[in-house]
Amino acid sequence: MYRYDQIDQTLVDERVAQFRDQTQRFLSGALTEEEFKLLRLRNGLYIQRFAPMLRISVPYGLLSSRQLRMLAQIARRYDRGYGHFTTRQNIQFNWPKLEQVPDILADLATVEMHAIQTSGNCIRNITSDHLAGVAADELADPRPYCEIIRQWATLHPEFSYLPRKFKIAVTASAGDRAASEVHDVGVRLKAGPHGAIGFEILAGGGLGRTPIIGQVIREYLPQSDLLAYLEAVLRVYNRHGRRDNIHKARIKILVRALGVQEFRRQVEAEFEAARELAPRLLEAEVERMRAFFAPPPYETLADVADAAGNAGLLSGARAPYEAWYRYNTRAHRVPGYRIVFVSLKKHGEAPGDITAAQMDALADLADRHSFGLIRATHDQNLVLADVPQRALPEVWKTLESLELATPNIGTLTDMICCPGLDFCSLANAGAIPIAKQIHARFDDLDYLYDLGPIEIKISGCMNACGHHHIGHIGILGVDKHGKEWYQITIGGSSASPAALGEVIGPSVPKEAVADTIAKLLDVYLEERQDEHERFIDTVRRIGVEPFQERVYETDHSTA
Amino acid sequence: MRRIIRRREILEDQLRYAGEPQDPGTVSVQTAAEWITGAGAASGPAALLLTATDEVETLARHLQGVRWIVIEFAKVGEGRGYSQARLLRQRYGYAHELRARGALKRDQLVFLARCGFDAFDLDPAEDLDASLGALDTFTVAYQGGDEALVQLRHRAT
Repeated sequence: MYRYDQIDQTLVDERVAQFRDQTQRFLSGALTEEEFKLLRLRNGLYIQRFAPMLRISVPYGLLSSRQLRMLAQIARRYDRGYGHFTTRQNIQFNWPKLEQVPDILADLATVEMHAIQTSGNCIRNITSDHLAGVAADELADPRPYCEIIRQWATLHPEFSYLPRKFKIAVTASAGDRAASEVHDVGVRLKAGPHGAIGFEILAGGGLGRTPIIGQVIREYLPQSDLLAYLEAVLRVYNRHGRRDNIHKARIKILVRALGVQEFRRQVEAEFEAARELAPRLLEAEVERMRAFFAPPPYETLADVADAAGNAGLLSGARAPYEAWYRYNTRAHRVPGYRIVFVSLKKHGEAPGDITAAQMDALADLADRHSFGLIRATHDQNLVLADVPQRALPEVWKTLESLELATPNIGTLTDMICCPGLDFCSLANAGAIPIAKQIHARFDDLDYLYDLGPIEIKISGCMNACGHHHIGHIGILGVDKHGKEWYQITIGGSSASPAALGEVIGPSVPKEAVADTIAKLLDVYLEERQDEHERFIDTVRRIGVEPFQERVYETDHSTA
Repeated sequence: MRRIIRRREILEDQLRYAGEPQDPGTVSVQTAAEWITGAGAASGPAALLLTATDEVETLARHLQGVRWIVIEFAKVGEGRGYSQARLLRQRYGYAHELRARGALKRDQLVFLARCGFDAFDLDPAEDLDASLGALDTFTVAYQGGDEALVQLRHRAT
């Protein structure tokens, strides 16, 4: 992974000192609430329903065991003993004290971490494929480019006061596990003439109140022009994006208002005009970055015959191990290794939550069996990407004892979910209680396995932090006369080609959400062609109506 | 008397905006639109006020005789001025005083300076002595810029 040099460390240390001064000025009354808000937000500090919330940047989701231990220590020392992984590969702490935040940031800086630009109207954490570097289907490792963009975007003098937040995702796989089509800018690695790595650039995607799928604005961009082109996009947006209405300030609104052709024309014109003075990305710099992400020193191993063979190493407990192997592990491109997902979706827990003890134990496990690295996914799980197959039974046993082995990755209960009304001051309705309700209702693993892969995404308000628009089943909390109701969409997808879900009808009351889901699943099970047809594919094939009919046929409780 | 920071010094402001009394030695500021259309004062070096929606491309053809450009940041969080400054400095070669004025605190100084501003007329409530120090908040930067010490593209060794 990337390691800080003197420049990186100095910058982060100076940022801590700056934020300490800003916090001090606020506490002493020299800064008003409003003035401080502008400053704290760009350092990830929100004032939430009950307490401040601090969002810490995990660039492209990659953590070292040392960093994870520090997060555990922060959870214990400054919070209530747990943290919450987000849908953008970051981690949040929900209970820090405002006056202690500078100390938290100073602790983070000792392990090359920070909270810079995790909120505010600036360029946010660069996200990427959680399987980068181990995925069989990737063109090249996207992470060197992520780190280059991260550095370029950090405290960028021209683009630190944008009309609104700005999210960039980088992907190198056709499957697009980074959801690049629903980002302000999507950067997709692409082979160009003579196989040279370049990029396809998308712009204007996003979720929130106005979900829009991004459009291609550049078919192929040579590697050396990456930063120059991003500067052109950002400059057009910074100058012409709307600033009069917070709900119309994202780049997607500008792209839609201008039309993609005109937007592209303006970007290209700016790109040409700025060319001479714009930053050029030299191959030597990319090469330097690549070295940080070189494959770990894999052993030469043969593939272990099968999961059952491994299970034979254990005394008993064969079936749970096999289920875990099947659902929570994936093929690795190096023989003898396997990718392990760490489920943060145990029944009864808020999706994405992890305790300090779990973090510490997971750091140890990563040190023993996965080269000391851990990844955060967009689905609020974690990944040990390089586990030798022979260690799988032991890894399973450890994860099982940590309650991190719920064999539900990719299934219905692998839901993603925003903090909702329980923590967030923007929310209209609870999200975590809905996840728990669904978990309680669908706790039969055999039923879940029969349903196959299905993604439920839950947001507690239309700001869509739970990405409900792109869930196979999306659930959006709305407030109706002080009561929590839920609007259901089906047919959304974050995988390429991305799709936005369609609303099935009037929202349903809180207590009816799981029942409604059950009806949708009944229709799917009746209508699917065979067990290989996924829920999303059935929806695409037969449309929304059969689902609507079932949900609303005899139900008089909806409004 | 209004005080400003200019090239790392605290000075009394010699510019006067519409409605402010003129004193000997002061320069009155006209809007960029007045200057471009010839409606403003034409004699002597000119001082122009640029709002966030004024196009620098248009002004770029009329920089002759301009000695001050004041870019207005009307609201907290306004960010268009950063791009305007970059363009004036880098693309249109404007080399005289470029001043940021308005809803600005010391916390924005680093960004402003690195976009090419060399004078700052901050929020009247801001402590200017403390603000001078804020210009040195960061000794390193990832991007090229007028005050950048390190440029990303020069880091490969």
